[in-house]
Amino acid sequence: MTLSGYEALFFWIFALAAIFAGLLTVMARNAVHSALFLISSLVSVAALFVLARAEFIAGVQILVYVGGVMVLFLFVIMLVNVGAEERGSEEIFNKQRQVTTSLIFCLLLVGALLFAINRGYSGLQRLRPTPETSREAPYRPSATGSSQLTKDTEGVGNSLYRYASLPFEIASLLLLVAIIGSVMLARTLRQEASADDVDPEVLQQEIVNDPELEKLQPQSE
Amino acid sequence: MLNFFSPALLFLFQEAESTSRASQMLHAAANPDLSKFLVIGALLFIIGVAGVLTRRNIIVIFMSIELILNAANLNFIAFSRYLQETGNPNALAGQIFTVFVIVVAAAEAAIGLGIVIALYRNKETIWVDEIDLLKW
Repeated sequence: MTLSGYEALFFWIFALAAIFAGLLTVMARNAVHSALFLISSLVSVAALFVLARAEFIAGVQILVYVGGVMVLFLFVIMLVNVGAEERGSEEIFNKQRQVTTSLIFCLLLVGALLFAINRGYSGLQRLRPTPETSREAPYRPSATGSSQLTKDTEGVGNSLYRYASLPFEIASLLLLVAIIGSVMLARTLRQEASADDVDPEVLQQEIVNDPELEKLQPQSE
Repeated sequence: MLNFFSPALLFLFQEAESTSRASQMLHAAANPDLSKFLVIGALLFIIGVAGVLTRRNIIVIFMSIELILNAANLNFIAFSRYLQETGNPNALAGQIFTVFVIVVAAAEAAIGLGIVIALYRNKETIWVDEIDLLKW
């Protein structure tokens, strides 16, 4: 896989955008700014997916991450209101020693990773040199017939249902569990009391603070 | 000691031998290949790890985890493309795996943010260094 021409130009643009947006995600003071920078990083990575001929995954990335997960993040940021950070009175990073140590280890890790990629890729090249003239035909425009684009997506769907149908079902079960779990986790004490789901001792303690809780209990018998 | 460094020295000398090293690097930059995708993935991964290790805000830590998962996805996609060109019949497995990574990331975000809300309701804080109920 060797990109060239405009593809190379766009590769560098989106790669730099992804990395800078990722850095700003980690360094922004305001959590909302962090979320917005993370969105731009995710969109840039989706563009890199398109350059690697994975259009379906790019679409899924934008729909699920940007449309679903990041909206969830923004809602939670606004729910737990992070006023202290915006006033600039609180430190956003850990203690100085912890930050220094972890940054040193991160630098070591990045050095090791780059070294490993360099060595491994040169070994791969020696094993199987990539032909210089491996340029595919450009995408054909298609009004009704199937183009390369729809063929790629067709291949993904085919192998998803043919070779990965059991993991597919397991993933649906995982999502169901996640939905139920997050609903159960995010209930308030009143909602738990009205479903009769609170430890009686805890309920007795809490009734002192909030007498309303007594009425919320479902009438048994 | 010399044995340890000799591969690096050999590498340097080999590079010095080629007369037009700058043009070689320019050619490599103008034609990004698999290794460039892997480098970008590695950098995104490290940024995410640094975010997890250094930030105090639990929501930003979750966002850094998303960044880490995305770096892994980028590697999967790059290798999938590479294998497609070598004619591997299972080349699309990388893209399939990426779909599952995205599913797990969505589930993780939902559960994690539910925990954050429950924690905020009980402890009134989202700084991870103040959440020390299990610390003795």
